Amino acid sequence: MLEALRAPWEALLERLIFLPPFPEQLDSLALFSLLLVVGLLLGEWLHARAGWPKVVGYVLAGTLFGPALLGWISFEALAQARPLADAALGLLMMEVGRRLDLGWLFRNRELLRSTLSDIGLSFALIFAFAFWLIDMSPGWAAATAAVTMASAPSVVLLAIEDSKAQGLVSDRIMLHTALSSAASFVAFTLVLGIVHAEHSTDWLNAAAHPLWVAGGGLLIGWLGARTAIVIARRLPKGSLAQVFVLVASALLAVGLARMLAVPVFLGLFLMGLLLAAGDRQQVLRYTSLPEGHWLLAIILFVIVGASLPWPEFTWLTGLQALGLLIVRAAAKSAALAWSGGSLPLPKRLLVGLGIQPLSATAVFMAYEILALYPEIGRSALALPLFAAAIMELAGPALCQMALRRSGECETAKPRAGGIA
Amino acid sequence: MTQAIGQFKHSEPLTLGVELELQLVSRRDFNLVRGATDLIDSLDYDGRYGEIKLEITESMIEVSTQPQATVDGIAADLAGLRDTLRQHAERNNIGICGGGTHPFHHWPERRICPGDRFEALYQRYGYLAKQFTVFGQHIHVGVTSADDAIWLTQALGVYVPAFIALSAASPFVDGVDSFFQSARLNAVSAFPLSGQCPPLADWAAFIEHFSFLQACGIASSIKDLYWDVRPKPEFGTVEIRVCDTPLAIEQAASLAALAQSLSRWLLRTRPELQAAKQVYVARANKFQACRYGMDALLADPAGPRQVPLRQSLLDLLDALDEDARQLGCEHWLNALRPIVSDEAGDAAWLRARQRQHNNLNDVVRDACERLMPRSPEKAWEKIR
Repeated sequence: MLEALRAPWEALLERLIFLPPFPEQLDSLALFSLLLVVGLLLGEWLHARAGWPKVVGYVLAGTLFGPALLGWISFEALAQARPLADAALGLLMMEVGRRLDLGWLFRNRELLRSTLSDIGLSFALIFAFAFWLIDMSPGWAAATAAVTMASAPSVVLLAIEDSKAQGLVSDRIMLHTALSSAASFVAFTLVLGIVHAEHSTDWLNAAAHPLWVAGGGLLIGWLGARTAIVIARRLPKGSLAQVFVLVASALLAVGLARMLAVPVFLGLFLMGLLLAAGDRQQVLRYTSLPEGHWLLAIILFVIVGASLPWPEFTWLTGLQALGLLIVRAAAKSAALAWSGGSLPLPKRLLVGLGIQPLSATAVFMAYEILALYPEIGRSALALPLFAAAIMELAGPALCQMALRRSGECETAKPRAGGIA
Repeated sequence: MTQAIGQFKHSEPLTLGVELELQLVSRRDFNLVRGATDLIDSLDYDGRYGEIKLEITESMIEVSTQPQATVDGIAADLAGLRDTLRQHAERNNIGICGGGTHPFHHWPERRICPGDRFEALYQRYGYLAKQFTVFGQHIHVGVTSADDAIWLTQALGVYVPAFIALSAASPFVDGVDSFFQSARLNAVSAFPLSGQCPPLADWAAFIEHFSFLQACGIASSIKDLYWDVRPKPEFGTVEIRVCDTPLAIEQAASLAALAQSLSRWLLRTRPELQAAKQVYVARANKFQACRYGMDALLADPAGPRQVPLRQSLLDLLDALDEDARQLGCEHWLNALRPIVSDEAGDAAWLRARQRQHNNLNDVVRDACERLMPRSPEKAWEKIR
């Protein structure tokens, strides 16, 4: 059909000097907008018809239209859309950081024990699985563990907001997710040095890269948080102007992180953390992201879906990824069952179920490491990437199941029980 | 299912019991949070200071003291209950505060607590049950006989505006200043059996009246009577139900001191009641107290005339001085005087905080701190 238009267009081109050359392909922004609408519709349809989390629909749309299947989203379009994905991930990570209430750990020491158990056991068991069973090198096994040890902050945040869940299970799922993400970022930073040490004779990179990432993340996070607070202090609390300042500061931090090759998820998570910790006068404490900010998730998850390396899928890697996920699930469930005694065991197990998602942050972390040594990393990181791919579909459903079973969703029926 | 009213239980005269409905709020934004069942489930508490139990929605929790002979005993129980709650709420990352309304919560977000009675209330009253997420203080005063209970119920009815104005702590509703000192009672007024006890001569007349309500299908149990003051036969008490939950437990103890001293004075002096005429002015007087607090102008049906509440309250506190001394609660009663004379009530405090912060989230944050100060230096007197 496009070809039929070409001849008359080119005929007109000779007479109408303002006409551009015949467009060979759909502008990437226009294409992407269409895909977002398709993603939205697919997510809503799956949610309404099958009760699936909307995120699954977004990922499926990305996978379907991405380079792996239909190819409507080309690698170039994917690269062009990366700033949008970074902005979406950055805003969500900032929100996760803002919600991390470290004071709660001091008010309830059992929580500290359970979160340390989750972090320690998840990293140790995944590392052991990758090192001994898959026979990875220590560096890549550590990279695999760092990438997959944490829950998925964006999935968990959206699942909780989507179901309007409130209660101890929801709160702890969010807390464990945020803390394990923080731990995975630390592990990721250290792993950068280890990977350099394994594959390069130049020790400067091994020492400097982790410092660059950690120092850069802290600096960008601090700068973003200070900018937001200093400007917002002059504005009415909770006003639209403050929302604008918050979003603009976050986008500034995203831009700086991209310029300086500092992972966006790290810089923005730290920005959220510093906003929460450093806002002593509650300047921005009650200022929320704009209504409907979850729409950003569509952008993020369509891109993540399109980025998944399905062409490289092999049954062996798939089985290994399943094994990794089983080990990871066991580690998280065991950690929660063993510790965190202030919550009854069934609820602790629901927390363990709710923190199973593995998603965008893991994929982006894997690609950050992969970019360092593409040739080696592509095969070495296939395992965590496939694990993330599987959990893109299963993780949101598991988190949603945990929230529903806890009875904390707004639409859920209250739990049966007597009155004290 | 209708329930017959049992025998009026004997209780020691002028013993006290206090119930406080408290707000459960998020520590992140200080909006109401659904946390009551979780909090109750996680309680490790032997009941030594009284009970901690669920209320109609998941964002409320009720504490009730043991029966006590003195206001000091009530204050000690309230302090024990507060400290127990603080310990468990902190572990669950929940904030707790007083006040009659939450200043900015969105009532459709409330969830009815599990339990047959709460479910029945929800089915019966629909959205009113969720809007009933308001927070009051109930004060029980022990009486020795059922007839005394009916007499005292009516005698205390005259002083309902005084209790409302002294406890008023709900100026904000739905995020705006309602202009009321106590907006909470507007939520209670929507219920069909709210208001004042009708003129009744004695316990037999009360039984006859209640049987009439049951026969008409209007009430099934005495819990359906949301009267401002009502007899509570199973406790052997008269229950004053119009107070907003104060912002600090010391204020709750002072209101209990007023209830105890006033009941003693009334039972001792037995003033002539104008129960029939009082019916005509009760609603108007209640509105005046809710709307204007200490600046209310009350209708006195005995005059008939209009009297300023502030002056009549100062006169009343003077009149109760001796009874309070006899009961050993004069220090608690005297703590109410600044509220009458210096506009130092909770509603004024909340408005002052709003002017300071220009933000209701911070107002609730301060209210949490006032109920449960982290250090003695931040005790409520100093915050005030």
